[in-house]
Amino acid sequence: MKTFLRILGALVIVGVVALLVFIFWPVSRSAPTQVAANAPEPAEHGEYAMRLADCAACHTAEGGEPFAGGRPIESPVGTIYSANITPDPETGIGGWTLAEFRGALIDGLDEEGHHLYPAMPYTNYRGLTETDIAGLYHYFIEDLEPVRNEVPANDLPFPFDQRWGLRAWKWVAMPDVGFASGATSDDPIERGAYLVEGPGHCGACHSPRNTLFVQDGYTASDAGFLTGGVIAGWTAPALRGEDSAIAGWTAEEVAQILGTGRNAHAAINGEMALVVEDSTQYLTADDLMAVSQYLVGLDGNGANRGQEQGTPSGGLAERLLDDPATQTERILASADPGMPEGARLYLDNCGACHFVDGKGADEVFPELDGSSIVQAGEPTGLISMILHGGALPSTEARPYALRMPGFADRLSDDEVATLASFLRTAWNNEASGTVEAGAVADMRSEEGG
Amino acid sequence: MSHPTYLNTTRRGFLGGTAAASALALGDRAQAQDAPPLEEYTPEYLSAAEWAFVMAATARIIPSDGAGPGAIETRVPVFIDLQLAGDFGNAADLYMEGPFKPDAPDTLGPQSPLTPAEIYRGAIERIDAACTDEYGNVFADLDPTQQDEVLSALEEGPSTSGNTPDMAEDAGGGAPNTDGSTAFGLTPELKEFFSLLVQNTKEGYFADPMYGGNADMAAWSYIGFPGARGSYAEWVGREEDYPLGPVSISGERA
Amino acid sequence: MARTDTKRDVVIVGLGWTGAIAGIELAKEGLDILALERGPDRSTVPDFKYPDVIDELRFGIRYGYMQRPKKSTLTIRRSLDEEAMPYRRLGSFLPGDGVGGAGIHWNGQTWRPQAQEYRLRTYVEETFGADAIPEDMTIQDWGVTAEELEPYYDRFEYMAGISGQAGVVNGETIEGGNPFEPNRSRDYPLPPLAQQPDSLHFADVARQMGYHPFPRPAANASAPHVNEYGMQLGPCNYCGFCARYGCLNYSKSSPQTCVLDALKRYENFNYRVNSEVLRVNLAEDGQTATGVTYWDAEAEEEVTQPADIVILAAYSIHNVHLMLLSGIGEPYNPQTGTGTTGKNYSYQMNGGTTMFFNDRQFNPFVAAGSSGMSINDFGMEQIDYAAEGFIGGSYMTCGHSNGQPIRGIAVPEGTPNWGADWKQAVGEHYGHSTSLGSHGSNMSYRDCYLDLDPTYTDPHGRPLLRLTFDWKDNDIRMTQFMRQRIEEIVEAMEPDSWQSSYKEDGATYDVRPYQTTHNVGGAIMGESPQTSSINRFQQAWGQHNVFVLGASSFPQNIQYNPTGAVGALAYWTTDAIVNQYLPNPGPLV
Repeated sequence: MKTFLRILGALVIVGVVALLVFIFWPVSRSAPTQVAANAPEPAEHGEYAMRLADCAACHTAEGGEPFAGGRPIESPVGTIYSANITPDPETGIGGWTLAEFRGALIDGLDEEGHHLYPAMPYTNYRGLTETDIAGLYHYFIEDLEPVRNEVPANDLPFPFDQRWGLRAWKWVAMPDVGFASGATSDDPIERGAYLVEGPGHCGACHSPRNTLFVQDGYTASDAGFLTGGVIAGWTAPALRGEDSAIAGWTAEEVAQILGTGRNAHAAINGEMALVVEDSTQYLTADDLMAVSQYLVGLDGNGANRGQEQGTPSGGLAERLLDDPATQTERILASADPGMPEGARLYLDNCGACHFVDGKGADEVFPELDGSSIVQAGEPTGLISMILHGGALPSTEARPYALRMPGFADRLSDDEVATLASFLRTAWNNEASGTVEAGAVADMRSEEGG
Repeated sequence: MSHPTYLNTTRRGFLGGTAAASALALGDRAQAQDAPPLEEYTPEYLSAAEWAFVMAATARIIPSDGAGPGAIETRVPVFIDLQLAGDFGNAADLYMEGPFKPDAPDTLGPQSPLTPAEIYRGAIERIDAACTDEYGNVFADLDPTQQDEVLSALEEGPSTSGNTPDMAEDAGGGAPNTDGSTAFGLTPELKEFFSLLVQNTKEGYFADPMYGGNADMAAWSYIGFPGARGSYAEWVGREEDYPLGPVSISGERA
Repeated sequence: MARTDTKRDVVIVGLGWTGAIAGIELAKEGLDILALERGPDRSTVPDFKYPDVIDELRFGIRYGYMQRPKKSTLTIRRSLDEEAMPYRRLGSFLPGDGVGGAGIHWNGQTWRPQAQEYRLRTYVEETFGADAIPEDMTIQDWGVTAEELEPYYDRFEYMAGISGQAGVVNGETIEGGNPFEPNRSRDYPLPPLAQQPDSLHFADVARQMGYHPFPRPAANASAPHVNEYGMQLGPCNYCGFCARYGCLNYSKSSPQTCVLDALKRYENFNYRVNSEVLRVNLAEDGQTATGVTYWDAEAEEEVTQPADIVILAAYSIHNVHLMLLSGIGEPYNPQTGTGTTGKNYSYQMNGGTTMFFNDRQFNPFVAAGSSGMSINDFGMEQIDYAAEGFIGGSYMTCGHSNGQPIRGIAVPEGTPNWGADWKQAVGEHYGHSTSLGSHGSNMSYRDCYLDLDPTYTDPHGRPLLRLTFDWKDNDIRMTQFMRQRIEEIVEAMEPDSWQSSYKEDGATYDVRPYQTTHNVGGAIMGESPQTSSINRFQQAWGQHNVFVLGASSFPQNIQYNPTGAVGALAYWTTDAIVNQYLPNPGPLV
């Protein structure tokens, strides 16, 4: 008995010591990697690196000063407020050394060695080149004016407010430091891989996460990488595999949607609109094509519908007066009063812009036939779009902030559900499961505020 | 692999509060479906006598017999009452500065110092008085033949206000110029009454139901107008009857 | 209360088509620009949002997008000795209100005048002799030529995404287009709109009669379009709610769909709404403008806005009103024929024949604003003025631009205006009628002009503009000539019945029924300061830093809808400002 207690006591002591060591053992920052020989000067490169890494998306609050932080980010465990990353010495990152700055980007540590919450995508930034890190550092420390802005404290319950717990999370989640492929390669696929997997941190939204919140893969060789995630109730669609939202798109079409927010198939809205607005529209034509070629080279993608589109010789009316290609189009074009309610709701609410063939119009009205948002596993994005509409970002090449009005004031919950269910199997769409009115009611009240 | 919610930044700001206005149109639809019978309607502007006049007059302007609904089934009097109570009745958009020359040529446009609501009030009072003198009863209590006689006399009397169809937009003709003497003691200030009444009756018959008339979109169904669908690219050049019934702005379907 | 704001390089009065074009072209040059719009801001969503905009009562009948006479109107008389009465309720024409101006609520009919229309007086004198021009007719040359303006028409049409079929490209006549149009350098940017059965029937008959039918050129996109600013149009869905409405579908060319979001990206461009310009301020010597004074409705105060360049881009009659109020140019005197500001107001001489086809179905609600088939065989260059006894011409179109029921369902002559027979008639004839209309020129005359009203004032206490205008024999003869041609075609189309409506001898101008919002002239362009307000670059003769854009520049009205010419002239002028005026400010002529 005594022995047992002694052993137990020893174990407790070992455990406590281990815990204390776990909590208090100093963190270490990764060492710098090689700087490329032909790297641009940080002063020239800084702003572009900031665009590549899309720092504005999280570090600028709505209506706030750029990069002064304070944007609320809802996580499953509570609200995290993004940091002020202007060079203000008290409320921002003024006075941080390059090593400390690098530590935040690739090790998830602040200047005092505290662990950062993984709302900061350091697991993705871990592959950043020294050139991009130096550029970012220069931009935030030298180019920006300091803005004094005390951001609110995070609103997290115990135990999630204990940052030391993140050390264990990082053991599980962190990939190796340093980028394997050629970040500065002339090969567009290699350059594209760097941009997507590293600074672009596309995987942060477009990859699934496990129950520990760990991103499922960080590079193309990981099977789960870019197979789709959920963000703010919206599906961040898969960009590879059988459900890929860009299946069949040409690299040019991918480049177009990233550069302008729109292409012949789809229009960007929601969170991705902010990405286009703050980041991808600023990519050089070469980088945009590199990203696009990398993406269309992933499994499940490739331009197999490229020739289907193209400018028709006649106008819209000629297109619609051709023999209907689908049963759905045949029903809609008949204007038969006996058509199902979903079809009738489509004609009375959607057909004006998306037309009876569900093909919309290039760069203006997105296709609903084949749309990833329409057929997403979870219909929340589709319901939200019907209820509240959406808006395209204004970009240099396509300045028009086209908007779709919401139909919350015209359609009841039942009608939205009937319409959404219709859309999910209309034309060539093949989503499973009907949409229930209850799901609509939840979104209406949630969004109605 | 589950899909926990990740970065839930708020984006609702730029979607512009569509939800705040929500249920407004849906409310209109519910209201339209539960509207009280015409006899139980409490007018916003018209007095009881004026309401009786408008009920009787619109019932002759668009009668209920024959094909198609009449003004009564489509609740045109409600439309007129609501219009007179609102911006239209109050001349909210019109230039109402003097001096007024109500007897100026009709072709120079309405010059009455009175608002449309005041024109209705003044004209109905005089017409009822004249009907009482002539027939021994106010207009609403006359038989339909007598009512038609009165309306015809009003039409012959003061001029029309030129509400000719403008089917061929930017290629239309002029209106008949029919300056006439006033009938039923209608002074020049009131001479536009009959043309307003006919115009407003047709407006109430064919306007979106949210304005109180065109109940159940029956007038649209009657002529074959699909209402607020606004989407016919697949019908251009097709010479066949368009079979689908109308939809209203609030989403009512027929 | 009053304030003075910091000086700008350019102030633009009005943010419709011409204000938007001037704004973006000068913003590109880096100039500091302020546009002042007296109406509210407007954009597709929420202002023209589907389905709220499909509201005939609110917008088609109560004129929800138009200027409210309470805030802004004019007085009208038909002759020098008639007392002008206020235009208290909108009728004959409908000036637009707010950002986008009339550019939001037009039908989109977009034409290029024939070459001789720009040199009309010279053409008539050369071809038919000076005697062909009646004594009281004051037609003039514009000072520009079709060749000079061609690149600017091309630019406007590609910017606005016009759907059509070219008739003459680089001297070559193209089958299916308008063979009488002036030479163009390339085809329209978009294919023509599809047509309804009534229009196609007309085209067949017209072709058999030896005429040359073509699809009416339309600012309703037949297919998606991206313009030089990266702005986009979606294809028109033939919703049947075009004129008087903003487009719910991003399909109708407008400042909103074609310019504004691109313009708003320029940090050196700003605009203020609910800001009505009260006058243009002139330097003490009167030789230049120093800026404008406007009423800031939000702050409820008068604001003096200094500027180096003042561009008047308001609706035509309001440009003239501001010039009269500000002392820009000498007011026109109809007795002596001297002075220029307010001179040569003209309108549009239209007429039409309605046809009833009891057994045909035209579904009139399936319509684009500018759908329809036209012929131009009786255009201004096709008519022998000496033989016919009038100066003028027209184009003719068969088709619908809408099937809205309150605005009018055609019923056969003799049908009562109310009662059981009326109800039966609208039920029987809706969808079974069509019209063939003549859209014709209107000459300018010595006693058709604009000045300030001696009696009536606006909410700012300024005298209202006064319009003196009536129909004249020359133009009535023109429309009666067109009537005969049209009725010949109508008979060949074999309707069950038909009826005509054209101005006849003795017709007087009736301000009540809607006719057209093509009010032109009053600040006309020309070759000499004695006979015109502005030079060939739309620059004021007397104040070189004032430019006046819009149909107020037309010395007489063309046979076509004016927007094409208004847009081309706006590009022509901004080009002259950028390439000639900015390097060397001063009179360009």
